[in-house]
Amino acid sequence: MGKYIVKRLLHGAISAIIVVLIVMVLIYSLLDRSTILAGDPNYSKMQSNARISYEMSRYEAFGYVDYIPYADYINELARNGELSDEDRSSVALLGRTAEKDSEEAAAYVKKFTEKYQSQGYEVVRLKADAKKNGQIKDGGQAALYAVKDIPLFKRAITYFTKMLFFDNIHYVPEGTDIGERKLSFTWYDPVYNPTGTEKVFSPAIIGNGTLHKYLLYFDNEFPFIHQNFVTLNLGESYTVNRNVDVFTTMTDSQGSYVLKNMIYPDTGLTEQSADNLHTATYSEGSREINAVSIERYNDDYTKVGTFKFGMSKLGFSFVIGIISTILAYILGLPIGLMMAQLKGGFFDKICTVYIIFIIAVPSLAYIFLFKSIGGAVFKLPTLFEVDSTNWLMYVLPIISLSLPSIANLMKWMRRYMIDQQNSDYVKFARSGGLSENEIFTKHIWKNAVIPIVHGIPGSVIFAMTGAIITERVYSVPGAGNLLTQAINKYDNGVIVGVTLFYATLSVISIILGDVLMATVDPRISFTSKAR
Amino acid sequence: MDFEKYGMSNEELFSIIDHSELESEKITAPRYSYWRSVIRVFFRNKVNIVILALLVFVILFAYIYPALVPYDPYANLLDPNSKHLSPAKALQYFGNSIHWILGSGASGEPTFDAIWNGSRISLALAFLCAGINMTVGVILGAVWGFSKKVDVIMTEVYNIVGNVPLILLISVFAMLFSPTFWTMVFALTVVGWIGIAYFIRTQVIIIRDREYNLASRCLGTSTIKIAMKNILPFMTSVIVTLLATELPSYISYEVFLAYIGMGMSDMSLGRLIYAAEGAMVTPGWEFEFWSPVAISSIITVVLYVVGQNLGDASDPRTHM
Repeated sequence: MGKYIVKRLLHGAISAIIVVLIVMVLIYSLLDRSTILAGDPNYSKMQSNARISYEMSRYEAFGYVDYIPYADYINELARNGELSDEDRSSVALLGRTAEKDSEEAAAYVKKFTEKYQSQGYEVVRLKADAKKNGQIKDGGQAALYAVKDIPLFKRAITYFTKMLFFDNIHYVPEGTDIGERKLSFTWYDPVYNPTGTEKVFSPAIIGNGTLHKYLLYFDNEFPFIHQNFVTLNLGESYTVNRNVDVFTTMTDSQGSYVLKNMIYPDTGLTEQSADNLHTATYSEGSREINAVSIERYNDDYTKVGTFKFGMSKLGFSFVIGIISTILAYILGLPIGLMMAQLKGGFFDKICTVYIIFIIAVPSLAYIFLFKSIGGAVFKLPTLFEVDSTNWLMYVLPIISLSLPSIANLMKWMRRYMIDQQNSDYVKFARSGGLSENEIFTKHIWKNAVIPIVHGIPGSVIFAMTGAIITERVYSVPGAGNLLTQAINKYDNGVIVGVTLFYATLSVISIILGDVLMATVDPRISFTSKAR
Repeated sequence: MDFEKYGMSNEELFSIIDHSELESEKITAPRYSYWRSVIRVFFRNKVNIVILALLVFVILFAYIYPALVPYDPYANLLDPNSKHLSPAKALQYFGNSIHWILGSGASGEPTFDAIWNGSRISLALAFLCAGINMTVGVILGAVWGFSKKVDVIMTEVYNIVGNVPLILLISVFAMLFSPTFWTMVFALTVVGWIGIAYFIRTQVIIIRDREYNLASRCLGTSTIKIAMKNILPFMTSVIVTLLATELPSYISYEVFLAYIGMGMSDMSLGRLIYAAEGAMVTPGWEFEFWSPVAISSIITVVLYVVGQNLGDASDPRTHM
């Protein structure tokens, strides 16, 4: 069994990778990349060379190309100490045309060109764009950059190698003055005893030189113990939730800030704040730019998350999804059973009409129907609010989600029960004198429920991905709309990330379904060769 | 025996009939025609007649009405009084005519005409997609079920393609080519057949290894003959039942896509619903939203019920 599951997992991983490759081909190769600029207000405001540079920087942000402007190259040299600060400005200044470059600049332009051309980049020099009177137009300054399309396999390999991030004390670039790089363990988490006097027992591992400050800590949020040694990067968002990872977008809480009085342990500053200090990450030079950070922190671990009132996207979807799934199973299965028992009767006919209604009518239509009935007749809230504690707002989305799955379960349960009724062992049991009730509950039910069991892990896991229409209609801030939102906003990172997430979930749920089925039914075995 | 004492010869009393090979093969059962039995069983249920009549009416209406009545959605664009009228007001404003019995829409167009034009597009999409997907899916699914080599490859393909979000595929195609009717057909058929093929494959595998086929194979029947004579009759009802779920599902899916903003540019039923979504919450405008919803529901339910009952009727076991 164990060997079999490992084999299945490997297969699943391979197909998930292929899915990501297909999606990458679809969005990076087949789609016209200029569509991402269509809705960009900055792009239409820009002119001349600046517009071209902006276009290139956008393409880089969306992951199409590797784009290196000349200025970045010079700055890089300056940071590495190969170029003094005084020289930097004179070297960075480009002439109106290549011939008009100063001598020092021309030397570096030549170096830049040679370096990147040898690496397969296309080096582009844009002449200064001048008006008739010789003045340079807005955004018409001369520009020099190197650009290269990222090939599919390179993109895929970087994506998968960067997917798991292992935090280490060498994360902060060498040469940065941050004191001793180390991991330190404490029994008393400084976030809970900011003044150092009231000792609260809460073990934590704190890093210096790592990306995250708190690598291991406890708090009062599920799952209570948190680690940051290994973090998941599914892909960075660009337009949906800027510069935030897809997985973080799905799991971060939403809504309004929860303010409370807190003391910053570094400086002892007391302030009303919603900052979650446990999520602090390193942000180089942030205290130089932001005066507020100096008041709060002693180090550059200043990028913190915040406490918000509402649940995360996955959280909202999961609560709604799991309740409706449970409802579907506890209602759908018994009703399906009764339909099979009373086959051809009035109850069976009524339920069949309901099943036909759900299958045939477009889901949009009946969800709107439930919404208007629930709103008008039962006076239930028809719109979801992130900051509300009113549990009634969950009722309509849950009903809208569970009614179709109830119909589906009823349909299959009835089908399987009726199929089993005609089998030989039932005739044998009947001839042996067992009562109909006994046959139903002890013999048929056990056999008929096996295929149903197969679907349970899938329906539980997919409860959290949310439902597109239900969430749109009731404005639930769930995860269901993430993919459509990303597609509409051309957020390539999110599309790839969400696809991988879905693919992984579906692989896992099928395997779990098989395992569960084999556990319920001892006749099914995966170890011996089938057929 | 001797009958001559009665004055009759044996030749008069008896005539000798030769043994005939052909006659001995004849079965003296009533003639059985498969499709005639299907029709007989289908019409035995009186509900089916009503629903079939409704289906024929809807399809004919969706095709004939827009062809006979010219429809210009922007004819009343400049008339501010003609927009968002309830049925009663529209009839009062434009005079009693069939065009206005469902009121008027956002640009003063008659909702009734818009719905039937939209139905024609939606029905055409459903029939075309179902036709293509069913043909490709059934043929490839049969091959998939019969050949073990094909099975290994296709199962992997199915696992992979099943994980690519369909919305993504459709939006990519819609952006690659403009979101026209034919783009939508292409997007829905390019991977749509694989689900049907998988279903057929499973059915073929179930029937393929039944005892009577095993016996048939042992007697030396060729695979083609087994497929045509032993398996295809079993599959007919399965295919018809599948078609009954497929046809309405394309209409529903088109409505769904249009609602999330990824539909085609033609004013199909889905686009009508999408465009009128705002009207649902505006008092007095609800008709604009609910009438396309109601018509699309009626079309899908009728298609589904007729298909299911036809599927039941085409199962030879019900022909007794």
